[in-house]
Amino acid sequence: MVLLETRNLVKTYGVGANAVNALNGVDMQVRSGEVLVLMGPSGSGKTTLVSILGGILSATSGSVILDGREIVGLPQKELPALRRDNFGFIFQGFNLFPALTAQENVAIMCKLKNVPNPNKHAAELLTQIGLGEKLKSYPADLSGGQKQRVAIARALAGDPRIILADEPTAALDSVSGRTVLEILSGLAKDRDRGVVIVTHDPRVLDYCDRIIHIEDGRVGSEELSKKKSEEVFA
Amino acid sequence: MTILAWKNLLHDKVRLVVTLTGIVFALVLIAVQFGMFLGFLDTSANVVEHNGADLWISAPGIPHVNGGSPIDESKRWKALGVPGVETAANYMVFFLNWKLPNGAFESCQIVGFDIDSGLGQPWDVVEGRLNDLRGQDTVFVDVLYKKKLGVEKIGDTLELNNKRVRVVGFTSGIRSFTTAPYVFASFKNAQNYMGLPESKTIFILLKTKPGVDVVATKAAVIQAVPNVDVFTREDMLDRTRAYWVFGTGAGTTTLLGAVLGLLVGIVVVAQTIYSATLDHLREFGTLKAMGATNGQIYRVIIVQALLAAVMGYVLGISVAWLVVQATTNTDLLIKLPPEIMVAVFGVTLLMCISASMLSIRKATSIDPAMVFRG
Repeated sequence: MVLLETRNLVKTYGVGANAVNALNGVDMQVRSGEVLVLMGPSGSGKTTLVSILGGILSATSGSVILDGREIVGLPQKELPALRRDNFGFIFQGFNLFPALTAQENVAIMCKLKNVPNPNKHAAELLTQIGLGEKLKSYPADLSGGQKQRVAIARALAGDPRIILADEPTAALDSVSGRTVLEILSGLAKDRDRGVVIVTHDPRVLDYCDRIIHIEDGRVGSEELSKKKSEEVFA
Repeated sequence: MTILAWKNLLHDKVRLVVTLTGIVFALVLIAVQFGMFLGFLDTSANVVEHNGADLWISAPGIPHVNGGSPIDESKRWKALGVPGVETAANYMVFFLNWKLPNGAFESCQIVGFDIDSGLGQPWDVVEGRLNDLRGQDTVFVDVLYKKKLGVEKIGDTLELNNKRVRVVGFTSGIRSFTTAPYVFASFKNAQNYMGLPESKTIFILLKTKPGVDVVATKAAVIQAVPNVDVFTREDMLDRTRAYWVFGTGAGTTTLLGAVLGLLVGIVVVAQTIYSATLDHLREFGTLKAMGATNGQIYRVIIVQALLAAVMGYVLGISVAWLVVQATTNTDLLIKLPPEIMVAVFGVTLLMCISASMLSIRKATSIDPAMVFRG
């Protein structure tokens, strides 16, 4: 099932002679139950694309359809609610609140999304991803992998249908990276969520279903992952 | 969001200390300066405030209660003949020299009042009886000025304007706005100390009958008693306060100090909250990216400012209260009544909220896309 779709998506920074096209007509889909990887060289437009997909950045032209609803051109004041209700974000630098405990970091998103019993829900989410013992720990006392798992739990608050992850394994060692990817992959498979990962990390390819290569602001190629191909052609 | 504001505030202890120091400094400055201003209002006209007269008759053109000049005492009888006037009593406040036991001189202000009517009598008497002032050469002084006047106890004898005086009682807390303390005596004795002829007085105090219109009575007195000025109690209070508090610049200076305190507070708090906001920009960007509205971001900043305000207020008002307590037994009066403490709390909230406006402007401009930029 298609959760999110772009059609001829264009993003231009600057005007006139200084105008730079970051996206030059991107057509793509995000489907439920799959991990989609966006790969490409630096400056190819991956981050711009994921920002537009998540309603953080506005497109210059084209279309982004979320659940049959056009979100390009929505008034700015409607975008926070759109992001809150539909997306979970995971960032390369974790972006946890250093003054809050792991539980509070997750609970604050639960509160933002009006989840009942936010503290209890936060504790449940952290327990589900194996951090039940670290509820009261502060980010400074957690390893990189644990921080990213807290960030994942936070992204899952309110049970969004699409998870957008920007280089989620870039700052992690191989063991932590694999753990994070297993959790994200499990989210897609077990909870039927759409997971979009922007990455340079080849380890991710072992956990994804589809790969889109972005080149010069366009979809250069699209392919099934090796794992998915084996499943399909088995 | 409140928990984020609270924990962000407590997270950086050094910044919190700087913020609270700024607020406390500003609050103490505001409370103490304004308390001094209120003290000035009180001490500059306390002999008017407490003397019980409804109307004052004086020589024409006097600037304030401490600047009177002699008038005929016989005018008292004319005033007494005005309908509505119940009592008319002689009264004086006048600067004289007080000779210390070591031979040095201090300035003082003799307050001569009519013991029978009680108009203008000292208040807050802590030792001795007012009737003792009927004796010849007697005075009351205030305990706050014992040392300044070289007085230790009842019975001490000193010299006032080269006349022998005997201390027969003490008041407590009757401060003078000037460096010259008040010394109370019966009008007759005060006339003698000053060398004022028996036919002269400095003021005539009038008490009106109950229910009588004071302003109408004032007009009637003006008609009945020629070549004098007639003031209501409020007129004399205003005139005296205006002269001492604003005419000398003392009041303006203290109020300016309070305003400076407010400005210093706003600048210090604004600076610390702004730098805290800059440090937390990425967190605010993350919140916005994840769906927080600008209003929710503002709330974090405002709540942070309000929490700092409450903590700063508790500390600041405590320090101000200690300062007030430390000056209780000195000739400096700093008033910190409950309504001023409440007002200072309001000023603190206002100060902290206005200080956070710059931060709110900054937070408004955050592009949530920043969270994807490394």
